[in-house]
Amino acid sequence: MSAGGPWAIERSSTDYPVCLTDLDPPEQPLLYGAGRRDAIAGLARDPVVTIVGARQASGYGLRVAERLGRDLAVAGVTVVSGMARGIDAAAHRGALLGGGATIAVLAGGPDNVYPPMNRALYREILGVGAVISEHPPGTEARKHQFPARNRIMAALGAVAVIVEAAQPSGSLITADLAAKLGRTVGAVPGQLGVRVAEGANDLIKEGAHLIRDARDVLDLLFGVGVEPGRPQLHAAPAPRAGPPLKAPLRAVVELVGGGAATVDRVALDGDLAPREAAVALARLERLGYVTADPFGRWGRTDLTPPDRAPGGRH
Amino acid sequence: MLAAVRTFAILGVEAREVLVEADVRNGLPSFALVGLPDAAVRESRERVRAALANSGFEFPQMRITANLAPADLRKAGPGFDLAIAAAVLAATKQLPEGALADVALAGELALDGSIRAVPGTLAMAEAASRAGARAIVVPAACGPEAALVAGCGIVPVERLEQLQRLGGEDEPPRPPALSPPPNGDGPVPDLADLRGQPALRRGLEVAAAGGHSLLVSGPPGAGKSMAARRLPSILPPLGPDEAIAAARVASACGRSVGPAVARRRPFRAPHHTVSTAGLIGGGNPPRPGEVTLAHQGVLFLDELPEFGRDTLEALRQPLEDGTVLLVRARYAIELPCRFQLIAAANPCPCGTGPRSGQCSCDPASVRAYEAKLTGALADRIDISMAVEQPDLSSFTEAGESSAAIRDRVLAARERQRARSRGDRANAQLTPAEIEIGAEIERMLADAGLAAGLSGRGRGRVIRLARTVADLDQAEAIEVAHVDEALTLRRRESR
Repeated sequence: MSAGGPWAIERSSTDYPVCLTDLDPPEQPLLYGAGRRDAIAGLARDPVVTIVGARQASGYGLRVAERLGRDLAVAGVTVVSGMARGIDAAAHRGALLGGGATIAVLAGGPDNVYPPMNRALYREILGVGAVISEHPPGTEARKHQFPARNRIMAALGAVAVIVEAAQPSGSLITADLAAKLGRTVGAVPGQLGVRVAEGANDLIKEGAHLIRDARDVLDLLFGVGVEPGRPQLHAAPAPRAGPPLKAPLRAVVELVGGGAATVDRVALDGDLAPREAAVALARLERLGYVTADPFGRWGRTDLTPPDRAPGGRH
Repeated sequence: MLAAVRTFAILGVEAREVLVEADVRNGLPSFALVGLPDAAVRESRERVRAALANSGFEFPQMRITANLAPADLRKAGPGFDLAIAAAVLAATKQLPEGALADVALAGELALDGSIRAVPGTLAMAEAASRAGARAIVVPAACGPEAALVAGCGIVPVERLEQLQRLGGEDEPPRPPALSPPPNGDGPVPDLADLRGQPALRRGLEVAAAGGHSLLVSGPPGAGKSMAARRLPSILPPLGPDEAIAAARVASACGRSVGPAVARRRPFRAPHHTVSTAGLIGGGNPPRPGEVTLAHQGVLFLDELPEFGRDTLEALRQPLEDGTVLLVRARYAIELPCRFQLIAAANPCPCGTGPRSGQCSCDPASVRAYEAKLTGALADRIDISMAVEQPDLSSFTEAGESSAAIRDRVLAARERQRARSRGDRANAQLTPAEIEIGAEIERMLADAGLAAGLSGRGRGRVIRLARTVADLDQAEAIEVAHVDEALTLRRRESR
């Protein structure tokens, strides 16, 4: 780990990410950063994927982004994102869970934690990866700096994956920039009629690759079925299998789905008495399959009932 | 020529004794009123002057000094008129000897000598009874309400000249105590009106059965406030003491005492712009707030996150203690406020819910909104549930009626009474007071790990599980009861 404060990399340095030289207009002569400088050097060696998406993401989107980040990190991919609230933060968190390097591109200086609510995430990223910026330390994040930040993110990844983006949004601009730079663009499909899913679905309609899981991204990076070139520490894990479930409870897990389910909704869809639905949800929560927020809205965790095919869709 | 008469000032909902002394002597005609009177009390001189003249008495053309003691208690309102007039009459020997012996008086005078109603006569009659007075003279309109107090005589008067009959053969007789108004003073809305929403119905039933507080969140139009307004219809009726307590509050606040006498639980739904003083009580002289008006009943806070942060924060202590203590420089008053809190909230400022994907709120405002629901007040909420707009199909069938639900609630309360040998509902018990078996103990320990159950959350689940079991008429808490309680409980934020 590099000691303490921010550092800068000149364009002439061998550590300077080559992919940034594709940018037009050209990038700044100096790249500022904080955290592990060797993570930047690694950009030349390791496969890099940019994951971006909406700040105002759905529970489904957050789960997908975190899982993508984690599984890609496990496969040795460096995950680049913007540390924004929502999808970006979920992707970083996933990469950290997967034990991989992750790089956050900031709109302000490398010491400017934006948004401030992600301070804890920022510190974790500094530990195993790096934050980088075109701006020197002490620069505040300003509105006009975000498009430039998006350029960098678009250029860094060999593949850009959009998980949930409203129409219009910064994430779609990133996707556009990536396409213009000749990077591969992928998008995670979302539910029809949901505002934050529109952008990603539009991208797929326009020809972006459909991304279901890390496997799909790895296929884009290395070709279908080809494993990444470097030795893997461990195989990409299937979604965590939970304790065994009897059929009725398993059906309820499926009913909870991705969104914010109410007890009534589960009862109605599952043709259960309201009390049965309430009791079933509590059992599933005790087993770790579902969880509720302070409002009493239910969602699934990353546990999947066992004896389904590993790597099954979530 | 000196006379002293007893009356009462209302402080909060309690009556404080005030002595009216009148001194009438020769000198330039004047009428001085001292003893910290407010504007309404000072104007009392003009009403007394006119009322005396118009009731066949003589207003003395002398130097009159009336003093309200204790002199350091601020006197507010027109309720002292009758006592001041009586003191002047006694000092000028216009009343029979001994007419005012051991008697307290309260009432506002009209210029023609008739006597108008004043708030708080119920508390005054209680105070007179405690002070050992023979009787209290009250406006005839307040007679039935004051007659709810058995311990002292009640003399209803319509006109000032009736004071001459005090203590005599023809003293106005004690009025009959206020009887419950037919139909309980208006119909109570019935839960049968609520279509669909089985989970919300169940939540209300559990809340009613155990006295638990409830937070319901959901989009506009889901029937949240409609359901909350129907909670009183499934609550047990007020007990005799509770009814008196509720009537005392209603009387002191100048509200109709009828519903309390009809054993109806009060229901208060202050708008979210309410001030802290309006909600908790305050001002000078201190007035009871909404929490006190909701005493023994339901306080409904619609759009909970729209309430001021300080206002919600101020609600915490009253919710815990069941009383509000208002401290002023010279005195402190205690207001009762044992109420059941029901709150409703939209899932986010725009109402659609941040996780629906349709939400147009910016993240910061959603965070601020949710923070209101995870603050210290939310820690006092037992049940939390999310609802959706009901399906159109559910509009055709009427829901279960309040009467049927209330039967189950009453049976559950009966079990609680028998078990605790007290009048405390499950919501007021500590977890240690509730017996749970070894199996449940293990289950809760597991849930603590898997479902993130904190110590406080554990107590909440045990209380809720006890209520669910009571509704099932079950002696012991079973696993299914705890499971339902786990779903009903309000979760701490993650």
